[in-house]
Amino acid sequence: MKKSNTLIYHVLVFILAQIAWFSLLGLWIYWYISNYIIINQFGDRLSSQIISQSINVEALISGLILLVVISVGMFLIFIYLTKQMNLTRLYDNFIANVTHELKSPLSSIQLYLETLYARNVPGPKQKDFISLMIKDTERLNNLINSILDISGIEQKKIAYNYQVCSADEIINTLISDAKMQFKLTDKHIKIEGGTNCQIVVDRRALRIVFNNLFDNAIKYSRETVHITIRFSSNLKYFILDFSDLGIGISIKDQKKIFNKFHRIYNIDSPNVKGTGLGLYWVKEIIKAHGGRISVFSKGQDCGTTFRIELPIYLHSKKRYIKQLLKITQKRRKLVDSYRE
Amino acid sequence: MNKNIYTGSRILLVEDEDSLAIGLEYNLSEEGYIVERAADGEEALEYIKKDEYDLIILDIMLPYLDGFELAKLIRLRFPKVPILILTAKTGIKDRIKGLELGADDYLTKPFHLEELLLRLKGMLRRKMWYKSATDSKPIYRFGENEINFVDLTCQVGKDKIRLTVLEAMVLKYLLEHKDKIVTRKELLEKVWNIHSEVETRTIDNFIARLRKYFEPNPAKPIYILSIRSAGYMFKE
Repeated sequence: MKKSNTLIYHVLVFILAQIAWFSLLGLWIYWYISNYIIINQFGDRLSSQIISQSINVEALISGLILLVVISVGMFLIFIYLTKQMNLTRLYDNFIANVTHELKSPLSSIQLYLETLYARNVPGPKQKDFISLMIKDTERLNNLINSILDISGIEQKKIAYNYQVCSADEIINTLISDAKMQFKLTDKHIKIEGGTNCQIVVDRRALRIVFNNLFDNAIKYSRETVHITIRFSSNLKYFILDFSDLGIGISIKDQKKIFNKFHRIYNIDSPNVKGTGLGLYWVKEIIKAHGGRISVFSKGQDCGTTFRIELPIYLHSKKRYIKQLLKITQKRRKLVDSYRE
Repeated sequence: MNKNIYTGSRILLVEDEDSLAIGLEYNLSEEGYIVERAADGEEALEYIKKDEYDLIILDIMLPYLDGFELAKLIRLRFPKVPILILTAKTGIKDRIKGLELGADDYLTKPFHLEELLLRLKGMLRRKMWYKSATDSKPIYRFGENEINFVDLTCQVGKDKIRLTVLEAMVLKYLLEHKDKIVTRKELLEKVWNIHSEVETRTIDNFIARLRKYFEPNPAKPIYILSIRSAGYMFKE
């Protein structure tokens, strides 16, 4: 919807610029012809008066105004086209990255299936291969889900299941889950601070946020992973700082890191895989919760801190939060009645 | 799987995807190859500095140093080691880049295990054929040209150039079949190990390059002759 509006807006600017251009042309032709006729009729006798005619000044000023309008229109179109070209480039990169992300696990699964078919693989090895295949199918599933979910978020088709939760409880649960999933221990993760506030969240969506942050921290750490999670609150917001000691992000990239399809191409990066969707997904989820996310890094090899701020229930964005809960309740009732 | 006569050949596998690398290592070891694995470009360089390999399997999208850069560096150090690029990059530009940088073969993911193993065998077979062919006569002279098939250097008049392995192999094959017609299909099968009718244009490009290097007038060749609707012939 937003995209088509933008397109109409730019087409409109283009049409207006064309109208302005033709008007200017028409006005100047009219000006020239009328002056030509007068000169022919009265000759040199009235030439000094013609020059001082007000029509000349009007034509000149309106011509200049029209020229400015045309220039602005062209400038806007130029900006729009530049943005479109950048988007096309990012989209091409995204297609190449997704192709790679799809093909890697697929080729691994195919290899194991063909190996099991062609060779007499001993029992324990068979189990290893099957567990690797399961991992690859999970990877494929995650990739497909991320693409579908993001498309759903953009079209506002994702129905979140918002609940009022204790911030400490849900964050601790999600950290424990992530520890298990990414095979991390207390040696890798340090938890600091605590709050006593309630937030309104969709657990599944928040798990996606955590999975992405943990996954990035692991992928972009050179050796051992060190993650520090700090939580606190102010009057309106629950604040979570997620810091790692990884390769860091340059200031230039910090501005773009949450953009769709954006990926950092760094020769020193220990990871070259990804779709450029993860942090965009995270940002959209946090935005849907009425919160905000920001990133901070001192630069190369200085680690990265992501700050997530979520509104505290009954203290911040009351109307928005109540609206979220209301939509969830309505949907739940609908599902219950359908079940009955 | 068939019995492998190249058992004991040392293969360096450069692949950063653990899951795929484990499966490949298993299969290559089962075939009787000695496999070492590097998980990124830098690690691969360390292996190459330390040891010599009979064949290298190379992924393109690698951390620290990509496969293209790595292929270039490997070629500088070991001009003759066969390189197979195994990648998810399917674009024609990537294929050409890989082959131009000195890879001997290019296979895209997902691949069939049997095809991969056959291609590896083909590459090892060509390496052995090339070695035995050049051991008997490592230096060949014709006209103002002197070709050293061991280090792939050529003296062309006063200039010195270096051939790629495939260029050297094509030339070697033509020299071995001096005064005989060599068809494009034959070259594809014997040098590239490709059984295809469609890629004969590749041969023409190689011949054009060889003529540019060695013929006094590439437009009117006197050594590497085209035999109409048959193929090529080396004459001296």
